[in-house]
Amino acid sequence: MPDSGPLDLSALELGCAALLLLANGAVSVWLGLGLGSRLLWAGVRTVVQLSLLGVVLVFVFDAQEPLLVVGIGSLMLLMAAREAVRRAGRRYRGVYGHAFLSLMLASGVSILLATLVVLRPDPWWQPRYLIPLLGMVLGNGLTGISLGLDRCLLKFDEGRGEVEVWLAAGATPWEAARPTASEAIRAGLIPILNAMSVVGLVTIPGMMTGQILGGSDPSLAARYQILVMFLIAGVTAAGTTGCVLFAVRSAFDEGGRLRPERISKVG
Amino acid sequence: MTFAGRGLQRTVGGRTLFADLDFEVAEGQVLCVRGASGAGKTLFLRQLAGLDPLEAGELSLDGRSPQEWGPQAWRAEVLYIPQQAPILAGTPAEFAAQLLHLHAQRQRSGDDPRTLAAGWGLAQTAWDQTWRTLSVGERQRALLATLLARRPRVLLLDEPTAALDPDALERVEESLAAETCVWVTHHPEQAARRATSILDLSDA
Repeated sequence: MPDSGPLDLSALELGCAALLLLANGAVSVWLGLGLGSRLLWAGVRTVVQLSLLGVVLVFVFDAQEPLLVVGIGSLMLLMAAREAVRRAGRRYRGVYGHAFLSLMLASGVSILLATLVVLRPDPWWQPRYLIPLLGMVLGNGLTGISLGLDRCLLKFDEGRGEVEVWLAAGATPWEAARPTASEAIRAGLIPILNAMSVVGLVTIPGMMTGQILGGSDPSLAARYQILVMFLIAGVTAAGTTGCVLFAVRSAFDEGGRLRPERISKVG
Repeated sequence: MTFAGRGLQRTVGGRTLFADLDFEVAEGQVLCVRGASGAGKTLFLRQLAGLDPLEAGELSLDGRSPQEWGPQAWRAEVLYIPQQAPILAGTPAEFAAQLLHLHAQRQRSGDDPRTLAAGWGLAQTAWDQTWRTLSVGERQRALLATLLARRPRVLLLDEPTAALDPDALERVEESLAAETCVWVTHHPEQAARRATSILDLSDA
């Protein structure tokens, strides 16, 4: 194994990589896509956000302060919940709280499993492990939640007739919503299941790529990636299920009636 | 058996569709509900089924309120059948089978919906086609037969024959002859044939 620290990457060298964006810009102009300004903006955001993240992480890793880890973790959870709802396309009163709670419980349990049982860093809340893992599970968990919410709220909002045929025949809200809930949870899980079945064959996941470029032994990087895939699958399943069940409960009232007027479109 | 409502009211966007509305239907009777489009006929039926909340007044079946029955037991007895059968998942045969597993339906006895619908000219093969591939009239007959076969005490019918040809219409009406119904219809002749009393929502 040749030695390993990663090759240095200077701002000038990154500038060369940014030339690739110019190619995108040229395509946009040529085909009249009108994406020029968005492309520029997206490029700037990528640079600014990731540079800031680097600075913040250095600070957090050096500080070794548990409260700071809690603070950063809570902020990440809030952003993830907000993004999950925004992508879902429909919302109801309390949906942010439900997305937050589902993500918090699901990621909390899985991260504790990873740090207390699997990796056991010292101290167990070591930010170098905890924060990247949390980022991975939240980023994927929020996709599952947004797909699940989207499917289930769409059905309650626009497929009212179907649900109400069941209610009219004497179904409880849960009996009437069950097919919708299963379909929604399935929709939330499909991306991670698809990813798990092609990973390593078609795709080398971003985190593993990063670790290898960063100088890690590829077989260790692979083991980390397996851990991360399992964590993501667990968080996505638990978070999506939790949030869909919250949504079902919120769409029906105490008289067992469907209340689509509680659901509104986002944006 | 008596199905009755007292002091019912419905407003939509500040407009009162009906208020202080009373009705009573005894066993085997048919209350025909009439009124122009937008008069609130469907909303009236939805309130009776407990699919929409009551704004005022009260309902009773055999002297017991919907709360005393429980919402699910109430709806199994006072069964609302929508104007248009929605496109459900799966086939009518699956729907009829799943319906028997509902908590509120499990203990109840029922008839065979296939026999009922065969009398209305619905082909046996329709039961194993998906709802999506059935025509509007076939869907309506399959849904009506499946729900009617659960033998509710009161049927809330929202223009149940709108999608049927005259021949099927006549046979469906025959099957419904002995049922206790609140029946929304646009057709004066149908109302004249079937009604034991008439409620005109345009006057309410």
